[in-house]
Amino acid sequence: MNINPDEARLALWLEDELHGEELATFEAALAGRAELFAAREEVRRWRGMMAAALPPSVEPPYPDFFNSRIAKAIRELDAAPLPEPNAAGGFSWRAWFMPVAACAGMAITFWLGGLKSGRVPEIDVTGAPRAIPVEPILYTPENGVSAEWIASSKAAASVIVLSGVEAIPDATDFSETVYLKQQRAIDSTAGLNPEPFSNE
Amino acid sequence: MNNPGDDASNFPRGPAGPGVTDAAGDPDDDFRLVARAQQGDLSAYDELVTRHRGRIFAMIRNMIHQEADAWDLSQEVFIKAWQALPRFEAKARFSTWLYRIAHNAVYDWTRKRKIESVGELNDEIFERERIDAASFTTPFGGDAPDDSMVQGELRAKIAAALGKISPEHREVVLLKDVQGLSYKEIAEVMSCELGTVMSRLYYARQKLQTLLKDEYQSR
Repeated sequence: MNINPDEARLALWLEDELHGEELATFEAALAGRAELFAAREEVRRWRGMMAAALPPSVEPPYPDFFNSRIAKAIRELDAAPLPEPNAAGGFSWRAWFMPVAACAGMAITFWLGGLKSGRVPEIDVTGAPRAIPVEPILYTPENGVSAEWIASSKAAASVIVLSGVEAIPDATDFSETVYLKQQRAIDSTAGLNPEPFSNE
Repeated sequence: MNNPGDDASNFPRGPAGPGVTDAAGDPDDDFRLVARAQQGDLSAYDELVTRHRGRIFAMIRNMIHQEADAWDLSQEVFIKAWQALPRFEAKARFSTWLYRIAHNAVYDWTRKRKIESVGELNDEIFERERIDAASFTTPFGGDAPDDSMVQGELRAKIAAALGKISPEHREVVLLKDVQGLSYKEIAEVMSCELGTVMSRLYYARQKLQTLLKDEYQSR
């Protein structure tokens, strides 16, 4: 709130807050303004009544205990360990390691949880109906060729015997049907016999 | 703000009750004790507490009208002051600085009470404007056995009237008319402009004089 400087000075004068030369000058300017002097007396009377009714200082109950509790609280404050000063001047490996470690821990936890939940549940099949062995149906691509299926439970093997198949000619090039790995010179130099050094 | 050497006794101050310490005694002594306390001398700080506890307790009790809470809050003020003591500079009187801390403590307490009272069975009991300000939980500690009944009645009526005005008006009246602070000091304590203090004091006195019309005019 803005107030006129003269009003402010008057307020200070009414409250006895002007002193020395400033007080004398101001009171000289107020000469003949009896209502203002009466107003100041009124303010003084009011303050006197208030101050007489409400003491400005009242000892708290149990004043010694009051002090001792403050002293105890202060000792406890002073005894409390201070946080470790950061010698690196603002950078600490803990500052970034702790969040990273926490994230890694959470990731591992989720991964393990996923493994457990993704595992195929074990189902009791003892009571399930069993498959009945059925003789397979054999197809042959050429006329005159027959096929016989022989199964041996003892040998744990199955054999198909083809009859009427023409003999395979000797001129057949199997390289056209089978991939043979050929070593290229640029693949590796390992295993090649190094040439002896020449003094020339 | 007054310099350490300023004579604050020019301002009218209320009479201290029996056994009551006068905190405004000698600011120079305060500064000497503060200097020692800033070096960690707890006995010097204990002496400062003894010198100022009466005024801080009276101020807080007149503000919140709760004896037990005023006792706790007053201690909190001195504990906070100890923590802030390294930052205290001799630009202000130590007592003014304490009033500032007390001001913050009271307003924090008031806010906390308002929050805590939300949703309780009867919020009206926490509306301090409606509480009879004279209803202290225990009698005034400063009362002397030979206090006149008339003075006691007047005190109760003034306290009740103070309870009916706003906290800002109540505080400015208590700081000015009871504690005897200057306008400038009050502005510093309440963290507002000088003109605001003057305005608040004017309206606060008007309200109080209306509420205390019978008592005030008979004197």
